[in-house]
Amino acid sequence: MEERTEVTPRELFEQLVTREEAPPILDVRNEEEFAAWRIEGRRPLHHLNVPYFRFIDEPDGSAESVAQVGRAWIAVCAKGDSSAFVAEILRERGMRAVNLVGGMEGWGNLHVPVRIRGANGRFELWQINRYGKGCLSYAIVAAGEAIVVDASRHVDVYDALLRERDARLVHAVDTHVHADHLSGGADLARRTGAAYHVAAGEGFELRKDVDPLPDGTHFRLGGSGGVTIEIQPIATPGHTPGSTSYLVDGRWLLSGDTIFVSGIGRPDLGGHVEAWSRALFRTLHRGVLSTLADDVIVLPAHFASPDELDRDGVVRRRLGDIRAASPELALATEAAFVEAMGRTVKPPPDAYRHIIAANLAPGSVPEEKAAEWELAKNQCAASMSSAARS
Amino acid sequence: MEKVLDARGLKCPMPLARAKKELDSLAAGDVLKVLATDKGSILDMQGWAKANKHVSLIKQSTESDERGREVYVHYLSRLGDRT
Repeated sequence: MEERTEVTPRELFEQLVTREEAPPILDVRNEEEFAAWRIEGRRPLHHLNVPYFRFIDEPDGSAESVAQVGRAWIAVCAKGDSSAFVAEILRERGMRAVNLVGGMEGWGNLHVPVRIRGANGRFELWQINRYGKGCLSYAIVAAGEAIVVDASRHVDVYDALLRERDARLVHAVDTHVHADHLSGGADLARRTGAAYHVAAGEGFELRKDVDPLPDGTHFRLGGSGGVTIEIQPIATPGHTPGSTSYLVDGRWLLSGDTIFVSGIGRPDLGGHVEAWSRALFRTLHRGVLSTLADDVIVLPAHFASPDELDRDGVVRRRLGDIRAASPELALATEAAFVEAMGRTVKPPPDAYRHIIAANLAPGSVPEEKAAEWELAKNQCAASMSSAARS
Repeated sequence: MEKVLDARGLKCPMPLARAKKELDSLAAGDVLKVLATDKGSILDMQGWAKANKHVSLIKQSTESDERGREVYVHYLSRLGDRT
């Protein structure tokens, strides 16, 4: 049987995550790009970084330096063309290599919807995993109605899921103004006539068309079908001043970038680390969030490592377990917390200021720019935690 | 002498592959000005010049062309007989 010459992002995801395989990865991007972001699996991967220009300079010597390992190399570059070129050079020399279609851009655009079991049959809860970038969004579906939370700009993903579940979008919600990826919330809502909600908070000039959400409003889903699921917004300022978490059916906390399964969201992205750290400390220790039961399941907007996916492929954790394990939550005084957060400050990627500006503004960004800005893994966790050591 | 290679609109690896071919056809010391619209070319040209001791990257700049595209301009020259 002739071996295939390419693999799609979805097929590679199945190999790395579902089947927990560990194919060798030949990354032909330059050193800087490789150092900043790479393919990750459930198991540690053997990576080799030989930039494609080495193959242009010396095809024979470079192919020899790669050498054949046990199984076919997966060749990877930024967009999938240089790696196709390199994979062919290897195959011409009798080696086995397949190209990742679309490269890291395609990898970062793959969205995998995973149904979360345990939502007791009255409603469906979906976690849409944008695995390459470590971004998570959600769909809550009850009796033909749906809410989507933290939609990416790839709104077709949500359209397809809701069509398959025979549900109509009633609200699109963002937990906050994202810095690492472009929001698709307003676009998704506009297509279907649904409402769009996001709170930017103090210091941000939000010019998008946003539907107001008066204090104390709870979303109700499925009312017309006789099923009512309540979704309660909870103000959780800190990662951004407007950050809002959503408690679904009293049990599932869509925590945005406030709490991750292995840490907390960084409070330094706005350049006001002290003020935002104080707000975050109060959110974690004095606000409504601090009164939630340990049994509440946290469903965050990001993960930093594939280790955070459980056996079902879901990123989730009991709030009590996070409380017990997080070094940030163990800091008992506001002063100690603010001091610790001050030490985690690191310059955000250049693209973040463009993405924040675009997420505040009406209209959409041309595809080429969007792809360029999003070509990286998220860096939204405070770096004191394992969540940021990626 | 300066020669211009217009690699606008070309996807990776073509701008760099063509730059190599052009550099090999020029005399040592001649300057090749490469115009590219692929942003990845910035780090790639730097990496190439670092890895290949016969390639010298003189400078890089970003301009915009008549169609409003961002153009990444690379000035290269060859050291030695060939790259």
